[in-house]
Amino acid sequence: MVKWWMPVICLMVFQAERAIAHGVALNYKTTQALEIQAKYDTGEPMKQAQVTVYAPNREKPWLQGRTDDKGRFTFTPDASIPGSWEVKVRLAGHGDVVTIPVGATQADASAKEGSGYTPLQKGVMTASVVWGLIGTALFFWRRK
Amino acid sequence: MHIPDGIVPVQIGIGGYVVTGLITWYSLRQINRMKDPMQGVPKAALLTTAFFVASLIHLPIPPASVHLVLNGMLGCVLGYYAFPAILIGLFFQAVTFGHGGLSTLGINGLIMGIPALLAYHLFQLRQTFGRQLKPRLAFGLFAFLAGTFSLGLSALIFFTIVIVTIPSNLDAATERAAVFTLLLAHIPLALIEGTFTAMLVLFLERVKPELLQGEW
Repeated sequence: MVKWWMPVICLMVFQAERAIAHGVALNYKTTQALEIQAKYDTGEPMKQAQVTVYAPNREKPWLQGRTDDKGRFTFTPDASIPGSWEVKVRLAGHGDVVTIPVGATQADASAKEGSGYTPLQKGVMTASVVWGLIGTALFFWRRK
Repeated sequence: MHIPDGIVPVQIGIGGYVVTGLITWYSLRQINRMKDPMQGVPKAALLTTAFFVASLIHLPIPPASVHLVLNGMLGCVLGYYAFPAILIGLFFQAVTFGHGGLSTLGINGLIMGIPALLAYHLFQLRQTFGRQLKPRLAFGLFAFLAGTFSLGLSALIFFTIVIVTIPSNLDAATERAAVFTLLLAHIPLALIEGTFTAMLVLFLERVKPELLQGEW
């Protein structure tokens, strides 16, 4: 009885070894991936934020994922769907949407900052608003 | 605390504008009934400045970073001027810093404006329930309660709206967990805002008490 089983077990082991010993082929091709960097306006990265990618003119999400601990998310858009791709990032009710041109104009698309005001521009805008409000206060104060 | 564009459905944004419009109209009507409606404009403008700049002051409260709101302070000092003042401040915050958005200006006005009006009424309760206390203690205590309550209520409204409107394609459990973490970080902030409000009110009560009586 035992002798009858032996060749079967040997055959199974042989088969398993054959499966492990399959050759491996590594191929590569160059693609254009997009990296999203999600940060709060304090400069702090949005860690583990939920990312939804929408292909042009499609309502259903094309891809979903999460940012890493540095707020980065990388994906390769399908080059056969040219147009404006939308990437939505959301974490605890905070987030934004960015539109990325893919296709004919992709070669020109370089890194772009989100809302993109420099600290100087922000400072000048803040000072202008503050001055406007203080001016309003002084105007009505003097009228009294 | 500011809901940005694209986070809530359009219907919520429009509904926010409608209700904010009604409350603004009611607030302006209350202001117009005063003896001199222009009297409160200078202090409203000055506190709008404080509200506008406050969102730039970030406090690192682990595990999050939160910013000051000061809506309770505006409610205590400005009364019905607080709602239009907050709305103007929110508009400038949206266009200048990108805090919030123009499509969500109405809903953000409700999130921060309604608690401010309630804080005003809570602060006024000192005249009824604070009589047994020393005047300065009553001012400080009710200002602290109003400031803390206002920020706490704003945070609750904000997070309720965020949770209720989570899109179906997102992982709701993850978003809820992130929301609760951020909500916890707002508890110390509420106490800080309450302390700020009490400090300002006590300062005004000492140097210019008529500001707190609506007699600019």
